[in-house]
Amino acid sequence: MESGLSSLLSVSIDFETSHLFFPRIISWLMAGLFVLILATKVAPFMAAVKRGERTLPILGESRDNFRFFGTLVLIVAYFYLMAVVGNMFPYTGYGFLIVSIAFVFLMSLLYLHDWRKKTIVILVINAIVAPSLAWFVLAKLFTITLP
Amino acid sequence: MEFLSFLDVTFFLLAGLGALVGIIFGAIPGMTATMAVAVCLPLTYALGLHHGLALLLGLYVGGISGGMVPAVLLNIPGTPSSITTTFDGYPMAQKGEGEKALKICVVASVVGGLISAAVLFFFAPILADFSIKFSYVEKFLIILLALSVIASLSSSMLIGIFSGVIGIWLSLIGDYGISDGGNGKTRLMFDFMEPYLFEGFSLLPVLIGVFGISTILLEAEKGAKSGLVNERIKLSKGGYFSFSIFKGRLTNLVRSSFIGTFVGMLPGVGGSAASVLAYTQEKNLTRDSSQMGKGAPQGLIASESANNALTGGALIPLLSLGIPGDSTTAVLIGAFTLQGIQVGPLFIPENVDTWYVMMTALIFANIVMFFLMFYAIKYIAKVVMVPKHILFPIIVMMCVVGAYAINYGIMFDVWTLLIFGILGYLVQKIGLEVAPLIIGFILGSQAEVYFVKSLESFGTYSIFFTKSPIALVLWGLIVASVVFAIVMGFKSRAREKMELSQVTGSTHTSAGKGHDRNND
Repeated sequence: MESGLSSLLSVSIDFETSHLFFPRIISWLMAGLFVLILATKVAPFMAAVKRGERTLPILGESRDNFRFFGTLVLIVAYFYLMAVVGNMFPYTGYGFLIVSIAFVFLMSLLYLHDWRKKTIVILVINAIVAPSLAWFVLAKLFTITLP
Repeated sequence: MEFLSFLDVTFFLLAGLGALVGIIFGAIPGMTATMAVAVCLPLTYALGLHHGLALLLGLYVGGISGGMVPAVLLNIPGTPSSITTTFDGYPMAQKGEGEKALKICVVASVVGGLISAAVLFFFAPILADFSIKFSYVEKFLIILLALSVIASLSSSMLIGIFSGVIGIWLSLIGDYGISDGGNGKTRLMFDFMEPYLFEGFSLLPVLIGVFGISTILLEAEKGAKSGLVNERIKLSKGGYFSFSIFKGRLTNLVRSSFIGTFVGMLPGVGGSAASVLAYTQEKNLTRDSSQMGKGAPQGLIASESANNALTGGALIPLLSLGIPGDSTTAVLIGAFTLQGIQVGPLFIPENVDTWYVMMTALIFANIVMFFLMFYAIKYIAKVVMVPKHILFPIIVMMCVVGAYAINYGIMFDVWTLLIFGILGYLVQKIGLEVAPLIIGFILGSQAEVYFVKSLESFGTYSIFFTKSPIALVLWGLIVASVVFAIVMGFKSRAREKMELSQVTGSTHTSAGKGHDRNND
């Protein structure tokens, strides 16, 4: 009995495949927990959704679609263009500076609720000053690598 | 006393600056101390180790205490940990006693911060000394304990464990590092990802993404409304502050500080648990709790001293075991790694000077926080009015700098921000928990090394039980935390059932009405 238990618990790990040993355990654990959650949490929740007592997260919620997807689009464009412009002026950080000014301005406009001349002027000043300041302090004073 | 030579004017200026910026971040609703540290990380890249630490600890202390400002003035907790401050702070502000309430909070905060710093100073070296003898087996069990404690304090244990396991899984993407004794092969990904993900996701872009970008997305979804235009802030119309308020409240102050420190030590438990626990304890133990929730100073004292005491508490497991106590210290662990410091049992004995420098920075940051908030609270209170359309783009910009510069200019790290920003958003939307996920991510790769190495050297799973008495004690603690969670789960389920039966009773009638209307 004793030897049976110890042989059950004994394990040898082949060095060649040792990189898969722990991930395999974790993957199975994750899958098992997922099934458990499906059964105990998700199924009752979906039933409640069907009865109309609850709404689905994300899909069934009201959301400011314009600002939400606008933010995503702007961030993707920002990250992408930063590298593109940055490659035109390597090792200067101008890519970051130029694209950031445009990004900060557009994102501010996106979030702006009251469109008055005064607030827009503040936005423009902020969009120019903030990235320039960040660029100057980080790239010039601290010589941190920027795109 | 050699460490004194590391303390120069810049050091104190940076700690002070950190506290100020932290307070501002904490004071803006929706911005947290974690975010303050994450966003200001790029500033520390260029600073030396000690100057960087001064700035980071200043940010941490300031960020946690800044949350009291909107909590008192607007009834919005600026950081999750100031939730109980709203209970008594806002009623006081409505009575025109905003300034008085804030000053009570400030005093309570500094006491909490200093008490926890003292506990940290005496306790962390002892714990480190003890854990130095740990082998891989005990180290693995410590991580298992950390994760089970986090999971057991989540709203649902199953969800907590699942979130933690997802975090571990994500951390395993990439190679099994040769430097850790692995074979250097990659797993959990497709071949085309190899150029980007050979070393897995970098820790700091992941953290900045989860805490920075996903917050922006959550706010954008709500339309990024400033929503404070109609709020009139009444600071001081009546009721001035004096230190006599604290007379007879010392027990509360000290007890709450120790509660905060202790909760801070538990890994992955956020500040809200500390202040809620301290608040309920005060409510249970005080002679007169009738005013609590209606504007009683004692509630403010309990809440704020507990949440500031977190700072020292959370640093204890970080510095002695290498396990972060909350999400802010999780970011700090990344910042330390960046400075070439490996936190763990050897940190304090091998870096005595750095340890003293850290303590100095922590205490100094608390004192600066006190003077800034006590004398300039009127001006700081205006920060809650900063419009989001100015703030958010700048935050995204700083996140980018932080992520890009971390490995000296890798664009993939910037995309990591977005990937984990969206992931963090989804995780919070579908009801999973961020804290266990992040702690799992941070500890996952270490857990793998400890686990696999233990098995390679002993060749049997039973080693995790038979290695040493400490292993058994750790198992005992793991079982205790699981049992605790199950008992709490039953209790809350019973309560839920009671509430549900009331709710379904009412929905039944409303559904019935809807049905009637349809028939019409």
